[in-house]
Amino acid sequence: MSHFFAAISLILAGGVVSLVFARQHVFSRAAAAILISAGCTWGLVDAVIKLTGAVTHSAAFQYLNLFFLAFEMDGLSAFFLAVIFLVCLLAAVYSFHYMDDSGSSVKNAVTGFFFSLLVVSMAMVVTAANMITFMLSWEIMSLSSFFLVIHNYQQVENRKAGYLYFVFSHVGAMFLFAGFGVLYKYTGSFGFADVHTLPEAAKTLAFVLFFIGFGSKAGVFPFHVWLPHAHPAAPSHISAVMSGVMIKTGIYGILRIYSLLEMPSPGFGYLVVAAGVVSGILGVVYALGQTDIKRLLAYSSVENIGIILIGMGIGMIGVSSRNPLMAVLGFSGAIFHVLNHAMFKSLLFMGAGMVVHQTGTRSMDALGGLLKSMKITGFSFIIGSLAICGLPPFNGFAGEFFIYMGGFKGISLDKIPFAVSIAAIISLAVIGGLALACFTRVVGIVFQGEPRTDAARNQTETGATMLGAMGVLAGACVIIGIFPGWFFSLILSAVSALNLGYERIPAAPFAQIAGHITLGALVVIVLVLGVAALRSWCYRTKPVSQSGTWGCGFTRPTTKMQYTGSSYAFDIIQFFRPAAPLEENHVPIAGRFPAGTRYESRVHDIAERYMEPGVVRPVQFIFDRLRWIQHGDIHLYIGYILLAIVLLLFFV
Amino acid sequence: MFESIVLWLGAILTAPFFSAVILKVKAFFGGKKGPPLLINYYTLIKLVKKGSVYSTSTTAVFKMGPVISCATALAALLFLPIAGHIPVISFNGDVILVLYLLGLGRFFTIAAAMDTASPFEGMGAAREAFFPIICEAAMFMILIYFYRMTGELSFAAYFSGTGTLALWQIAGPSLLFIVIAFFIILVTETSRVPVDDPATHLELTMIHEVMVLDHSGPDFALIELGAFCKLFFYAAILSGLILPFETGIPGTGMLLFIAGLLIVYLVVGIIESTIARYRMDKVPQFVLTSFALAFFATIITLELIQ
Repeated sequence: MSHFFAAISLILAGGVVSLVFARQHVFSRAAAAILISAGCTWGLVDAVIKLTGAVTHSAAFQYLNLFFLAFEMDGLSAFFLAVIFLVCLLAAVYSFHYMDDSGSSVKNAVTGFFFSLLVVSMAMVVTAANMITFMLSWEIMSLSSFFLVIHNYQQVENRKAGYLYFVFSHVGAMFLFAGFGVLYKYTGSFGFADVHTLPEAAKTLAFVLFFIGFGSKAGVFPFHVWLPHAHPAAPSHISAVMSGVMIKTGIYGILRIYSLLEMPSPGFGYLVVAAGVVSGILGVVYALGQTDIKRLLAYSSVENIGIILIGMGIGMIGVSSRNPLMAVLGFSGAIFHVLNHAMFKSLLFMGAGMVVHQTGTRSMDALGGLLKSMKITGFSFIIGSLAICGLPPFNGFAGEFFIYMGGFKGISLDKIPFAVSIAAIISLAVIGGLALACFTRVVGIVFQGEPRTDAARNQTETGATMLGAMGVLAGACVIIGIFPGWFFSLILSAVSALNLGYERIPAAPFAQIAGHITLGALVVIVLVLGVAALRSWCYRTKPVSQSGTWGCGFTRPTTKMQYTGSSYAFDIIQFFRPAAPLEENHVPIAGRFPAGTRYESRVHDIAERYMEPGVVRPVQFIFDRLRWIQHGDIHLYIGYILLAIVLLLFFV
Repeated sequence: MFESIVLWLGAILTAPFFSAVILKVKAFFGGKKGPPLLINYYTLIKLVKKGSVYSTSTTAVFKMGPVISCATALAALLFLPIAGHIPVISFNGDVILVLYLLGLGRFFTIAAAMDTASPFEGMGAAREAFFPIICEAAMFMILIYFYRMTGELSFAAYFSGTGTLALWQIAGPSLLFIVIAFFIILVTETSRVPVDDPATHLELTMIHEVMVLDHSGPDFALIELGAFCKLFFYAAILSGLILPFETGIPGTGMLLFIAGLLIVYLVVGIIESTIARYRMDKVPQFVLTSFALAFFATIITLELIQ
């Protein structure tokens, strides 16, 4: 564990140095980027070595003479650590040129500090070995990311987003406290060792509490409401980290609790698949309806969390129906998708960050044609889009392939598991198709065609570290997609740490599946190269000329006539109308010589829409009635505390 | 292996011929003589001989579109058993790979269309992005059906040897549903009537044709070849489904396969000659029918296979 502590100390040192030298703008940024990335590299190498060794390491310290802070690194922790350090490494590198606004050097230094704190706390969350350590790290993680969300606190919408995130993360934490309370009641210790001795009803209650608590961090529908507000508000490298890895700590929590409870109840599997199906489909439908590129990516994270949950649910059903192959396929597919989503989503956020940084707008319908002047950003964004659509030969396909294989194992089962497996497979297919529509839309509207406004005209890409980070991630998407074998062996050691009750997971059948993915990927690449060669042979002596786009007979086309993002998605949104109500607003055209008109459309998120009347108002009503308790008199407040303690002494 | 590769090349080379059958059928219904059966080869040769004009709006993605859409169609054929022979490549799960490969081709067709900044092509792209979503759900429902029946996830297991014939004997009625569902998918995925009309004259009503308006010369030839191969791919699956007989006499397998293909192309041609295209907003319902049919087929088999 000493390497782990050294790594996180180095990362924290980066943050502190950045804060101390806040006035020296370039030095502060450089020190943060170098120290944090060095710490991340150290941690990454250590985690991968631990992962290949598959031995559990642990360490404990006394804290305030009351509690032990205990850390433990098994396969699952090491895998999540590797993902966290990898993405944060690249985000730290990216931040050097991204945070180059020298006018706000102190603000940037503060953000650098909280960033380092976020990395450290995430690393601690996935290694925590008792409740105290876990909740302490969890709270530091929530708070540090809250400060990152309100980086641009001058804008009122960002403060609102931060507030919403704060509320959601603390309501979520409340459910976690309740869940840990249930555990503590039966085990009487802060450790996790005896959790499996709980009675069945308590286990179910604890699982549901934890699922809500962790689900609100992961962005599971309907607890995802904070995500599309917080991600656009944060700086792009922070969005990349939050969306790429921070929300995955929720997934880690669900996996960890599932493995601790050791209860193969089929109900858990159904719950998780159902949550996954709803998050997956609605996430991507809402993503299609967005016009803000970063909001769109945030909704797409909800979708990918859905895919991960579907995989986990299939794994749980596999465990409960005693089908080890299905269980391992489901869990490993889900964990694989954690890695893959971390890669392509941080890549996409960084690409979007470059676009926002250069053009100053997040509205997709104001952009267009950026691929011509931003080649590296554009093509890495396209690679990220292909990967997120789950298309071969990119990494998204590899992960989804394993989930599909697991899901199809469930088709041979009977009754409910069979029906749930059908739902899982069909929704994976629908999510895939919708994601393709969603990301062809982003690529087509933002990077292709012609600039729609002046904001998008003549923009170039700058910042070597930003381009470098994106290039590395795009490369990772391709390499993992073509050669998933080695990565999958790491994932298997994470799955074996899940304590599913299988002594040793044989590597051969999974290596074979990975081999098939490699074969398929290579076949595509060879054929594409072959056809490309044939094409250039055909063109070797041909006249090639340039001209305007064929306007179908119309001679005076303007760039404003291009299809917009809203019109592209319109039919699909219409199809999902009950779940995604579309609000349109326009002045009808009247008269022979109609005056100018305007059109506005907005896709509503039903969770957000019903949160106000369904949750906020009842809560407000109750608390309004209790307002008399809060009167501002400090003496009586002390009296409350005394009374509470006395009462507790009586009852506990 | 060698035989399989020869069959694969044969499939690619004869795909344009079969597509011409549709044109002949349509001409017959129109009371015309129609183009020669080799018309598609003439078209391809003519296109390959030409040069190209590229729009100033386009980027490299525009040139990648035809290459990748053609390559993915060729790749799909690699996994398909032709006339009951083992395919060139086959493994457990290849069906999923093939469906996603066709998705890759679609991604680049759409991206190439969006590259031109043309509102018409954007419109076509939006439709191309929408309808296949439902198709994909229906395809996976059909896969679930086949997995339930055979316990396998590869084309080779479904369509080579006597597998299909055995299926008809166990679950004939449900397989009939699957055939119809699959035919609807064929029509949608390959842009035929009543989903799309390849012969329409108004860009506003097109799906696939409008997306390739700006392609010319060898690029367009690749797109055409890819479309022929894609149609061949779906038709070959249907042919394997409707004429799965194994006589044991050498050569008859191939004859039956070709007969099945001709039947599929004839039916496509007859439908194209006799009914009109659906209104765009009716298309999703039409495509959903195939999902429903496949779903019912699966439900029916629950009783048969225990």
